[in-house]
Amino acid sequence: MKKAWIIGLNTFKESLRRKTLYILLVIALIVIGASKAFSFLTAEEELKMIKDVSFSGIEFFGALIAIFMSLYAISNEIEKRTIYTLFSKPITRQNFFIGKFIGVVLILTLNFILMCLFFIGLLIFKKSPPDIQVSKALFLIFIELILIGAITLTVATFASDAFNIIFSFFLYIVGHLTSYGNQLIDRTENLILKGLGKILYSVVPNYENFNIRDKVVVGIEVSRNYIFKIGIYWLLYLVIVILIGSYFIQKREV
Amino acid sequence: MSIIEIKELTKYYYIGRNKKIVGLENVSFSVEEGEIYGILGPNGSGKTTCLKLMLGILYPTSGEINILGKNQFDIEMKKNVGFLPENPYYYDYLTGPELLKFYGKLYDIQEKILNERIEKLLYLVKLHEAKKLALKHYSKGMLERIGVAASLINDPKILILDEPTTGLDPIGCIETRDLLLQLKNQGKTILLSSHFLSEVERVCDRIAIFHRGYLLATGTLRELIEKYNAQGLEDLFVKTINDFDKKGDR
Repeated sequence: MKKAWIIGLNTFKESLRRKTLYILLVIALIVIGASKAFSFLTAEEELKMIKDVSFSGIEFFGALIAIFMSLYAISNEIEKRTIYTLFSKPITRQNFFIGKFIGVVLILTLNFILMCLFFIGLLIFKKSPPDIQVSKALFLIFIELILIGAITLTVATFASDAFNIIFSFFLYIVGHLTSYGNQLIDRTENLILKGLGKILYSVVPNYENFNIRDKVVVGIEVSRNYIFKIGIYWLLYLVIVILIGSYFIQKREV
Repeated sequence: MSIIEIKELTKYYYIGRNKKIVGLENVSFSVEEGEIYGILGPNGSGKTTCLKLMLGILYPTSGEINILGKNQFDIEMKKNVGFLPENPYYYDYLTGPELLKFYGKLYDIQEKILNERIEKLLYLVKLHEAKKLALKHYSKGMLERIGVAASLINDPKILILDEPTTGLDPIGCIETRDLLLQLKNQGKTILLSSHFLSEVERVCDRIAIFHRGYLLATGTLRELIEKYNAQGLEDLFVKTINDFDKKGDR
């Protein structure tokens, strides 16, 4: 684990040098900041708008950062051939993969904290400091971003960059539409299609599970029990994704 | 005593389902402790493939690799091996000492020992005055030198160098050659690949000639020159390769 941590820290430092990261972060902050522009609304509506836009901005730009940073984390090592030297060191390939995951989590955490600080600053400015419901929504967004990063990282162990970007974005969109998809599947009468749909529904991560922002914005309380259940779902999914990534990196020839 | 033993090593690369490219074909050789063993061959002859297989970077199609009595994936074995890849690329935002520290930490070297070793190595490769310079500002020669230092960070018993003088100026080549002899005198076993015949001729105790994935000849230079009735290494190199190609044509 110590070696994975060393690789993780190095990945984190390397990610900090990516221009993409700063561009996305700045756009995210502008979007979050822009939510304050709706000054024609009543104070209460404006607050809802700030929360809604900020949650969406943090989630969307966080997802972009997760996808790009995870993609670079592995493909850059292969492209620049630094992986040859790393694999000649006394580390396992699992050390390498877990290290890359740690690095991605660190960079996501830093970005998430910066975006949240900006958002919280806006709330405090509006004299409405974040409550526990806002924290719950942010927590779920954060673990969703980690899962998105882990999936992209895993796909990077066996697929090309182009495929990975398309796949990760596709999964991000589909993952947010799985509930609608499930309703469609239920209405389908074709058994084969229904079966295939159900399999797909079980395999594709349901990112909507992590979305409680609509409820939080309108003041509906989300129970701790729900957060706990989604936490378990996330953990199981994450473990499976990391195991798959570890398997493929073990097989990969560079 | 053989410190490296390669037995019937074969590596095929597959393009699609049916097309097979030979990376290495049934290669066997051994390297004795304390010697410098040179793998010679034209581009695409399988030199780098062989080294990558030895370090567990690639998986063999068949055959055995035994280094210090362990297989190529063994972590304990890797603690005693240093590797310099061809045209080394490193994390260019790091400085030389930072790079050495990063690699050193992967060997679990104690902080104090590691710091002392980094100092020594920077002097050895004459980069002590470039301590604060990020690698992206290094010249090709400097990168090659920091690569040598990185391959020595664990004070390895075995050093595997892939084309260590590619891109170096004549002075750099001479310095690398002197360094190799110095390391040999310290008891290190060195396996290097190169297509520079003069370099190999001057430092290697034994050589192997690779071509199209096949090991054509191995032994001391004298043995091989006598065996092939050659005038020198260059003549030997050309003869073995031409003979092989002629056989292939037939």
